[in-house]
Amino acid sequence: MASVTLENVIKRYGDLQAVHGVDLEIRDGEFMVLVGPSGCGKSTTLRMIAGLEAISEGTCRIGDRVVNDVPPQRRNIAMVFQNYALYPHKSVRENIVFGLKRAKTEPAEIHKRLAEAARMLRLEPYLDRKPAALSGGQRQRVAMGRAIVRDADVFLFDEPLSNLDAKLRHDMRTEIRRIHKNYGTTSIYVTHDQVEAMTLADRVVVMRDGWIEQVGRPMDIYLHPANLFTATFIGAPSMNILDGTLDADGVHLGSHTLPVPPAKQAVAAAALEAGGGRARPIKIGIRPDFFEDCAFATMGPNSVRLDGLRVEIVEPLGFDREITFHIGESSAMARLDLRSDIAEDSTIDLCVDLERVHFFDPDSGKNLELVA
Amino acid sequence: MLGRRGLWGNLTLTVAVVLLLLFCLFPFVQILSTSLKYQADWGNPSLIPTQFNWDAYLELLGWGETEELAIPPSIERLLDRPGLTDAQRERILAPYRETADIFPFPRYFLNTILLAGVAALIALALAVFGAYAFSRVRFTGQAIIQRSILFVYMVGGVLLMVPLYQIAVGVGLAATPWGSVVALVLIYVIQTLPVSLYMLGNYFRTIPYSLEEAAAIDGCTRIETIFQVIIPLSIPMLVTVYIYAFIIAWNEFLFASVFLRQYDDLYTLPLGLQTLFVSKNAIWDRIMAASILTLLPVLVLFTFAMRNLTGGLAAGGVKE
Repeated sequence: MASVTLENVIKRYGDLQAVHGVDLEIRDGEFMVLVGPSGCGKSTTLRMIAGLEAISEGTCRIGDRVVNDVPPQRRNIAMVFQNYALYPHKSVRENIVFGLKRAKTEPAEIHKRLAEAARMLRLEPYLDRKPAALSGGQRQRVAMGRAIVRDADVFLFDEPLSNLDAKLRHDMRTEIRRIHKNYGTTSIYVTHDQVEAMTLADRVVVMRDGWIEQVGRPMDIYLHPANLFTATFIGAPSMNILDGTLDADGVHLGSHTLPVPPAKQAVAAAALEAGGGRARPIKIGIRPDFFEDCAFATMGPNSVRLDGLRVEIVEPLGFDREITFHIGESSAMARLDLRSDIAEDSTIDLCVDLERVHFFDPDSGKNLELVA
Repeated sequence: MLGRRGLWGNLTLTVAVVLLLLFCLFPFVQILSTSLKYQADWGNPSLIPTQFNWDAYLELLGWGETEELAIPPSIERLLDRPGLTDAQRERILAPYRETADIFPFPRYFLNTILLAGVAALIALALAVFGAYAFSRVRFTGQAIIQRSILFVYMVGGVLLMVPLYQIAVGVGLAATPWGSVVALVLIYVIQTLPVSLYMLGNYFRTIPYSLEEAAAIDGCTRIETIFQVIIPLSIPMLVTVYIYAFIIAWNEFLFASVFLRQYDDLYTLPLGLQTLFVSKNAIWDRIMAASILTLLPVLVLFTFAMRNLTGGLAAGGVKE
């Protein structure tokens, strides 16, 4: 096992810069998830760590060793590919032990590790099959098996679940967590699915356009997004971003006024002062999960009521129901539970805890709470 | 109703296909038929011989009784003349002895198999690495090299025959029998390489690159990856390319006729056939039987190639 350190790592393809100076330390035994929309540079970053892409600038270390010029076969890493990349001419068994054989591992040891991996991934009945005779989920488990039998310093996962259907993806996610729990190997996992990022990661790196937007523990990013991008990218359904105005009285959202909670007053004052005390536009971020139906809410010291909101659409999801309603000029979404039995085109009173409301600078997109 | 034909459509199509097939196959049937006919039957337009004559085959394969040609009395008297050297005596007798050796099929067959087999093997080995480089490695001048190799294919053999022979003479290859064979093998390799590279290169491009990346992660160097992943996955195409190169060399006449003309022990089948055609032994059933025997291995190989061409090996390894 080893840590992985990236220092100002840049990737250029001709004139195009795909990754701009990434600085990142992945600690020994940590499960790090790189997440972002397609084209954000997350896969490229992973492939640079794997040695499958050359690093244009900067250094990449695995443990204490600078690996910039070390070919992948000598980096002692294991990787799970998005498209499985199983050797079609080899049986499941041969696929799994191929790396061990290349590394000239003792046959007894190979046998032991194969048996262990096959048991853990429930592949025992399929060891003699060719990949073509397996289902998608089984193939992905073989790809996983190929990685875990290796005594690798780092496991790399390149969107391993994106080819599976929703149910399988959930099962495999649990599988990956279990593997990490058992082996504790440093893992770097690339995905565009924020649910995978939230559920699997010790820490998450949110990337966009080749830049790192935020690094942190999943819940920290969820509760304290650094900017509008992470705020909307992490969390499903995504955060409502509403246009409001900040002045000395508080934040105005349509006909509603939200007082600035004590914890954010200093920042709000500074923001106003910077604008010469004039009222200034502001982006208000509220997660749909943090709206409560006032009929059932327990009001805390920082709770505010938003009365008489017109409900446009109600989408029942079983326990939850998602409602789309109008507030000010914009429409927003709230996730309520089944107690709130409301009809479309009726009105509702919603409560929200101001501690959970974020204010973003409309120009820089930065979370004002974190600017100070 | 797209793709459905009526009765007349079907009938027209069937007739057209049958006509085309007949047109293609008739020469072969004619060869086979003639090779099995007795001399008296040659004028008979029927394709089925009135009586089957296997003599030509038996003779060519060396299984027939070797008939001793009687030496005419006039020749006997000639031989009796005193003062005749042994060499002269041999030359007078030669036409009567050579009959057993009109067309030494087994030897020509072996010559051709070895020549074509070795040339195809070398072409295949070079093509594997060349095609890999073209399909996977980026290097300066790649496009130019790739195109110049295809250019070789566009130049007819007749144009190159004389210069190539001059080169072979210049470097001393044409002076010895084995040198000539080496020169010929080289020429066959060069001749078959462009298409082999093209076929294999295109095939390699269908092998997902992530398989090679997986092999690299599993500890393989590039060369090991070629042997562990690329070659096992390309076996059908490798067989096809080998057969293609083999058949080209097997049927090649022009260069063989230039390089091997003086070494009749090293004749290949096409060369032997041509010699047979123009010799005093040119008898129809013999010529046709020799043609059939030359054709047969190609037919067998082609059947093999067809079987290999169906079915890809790379299925199932990656999610497309």
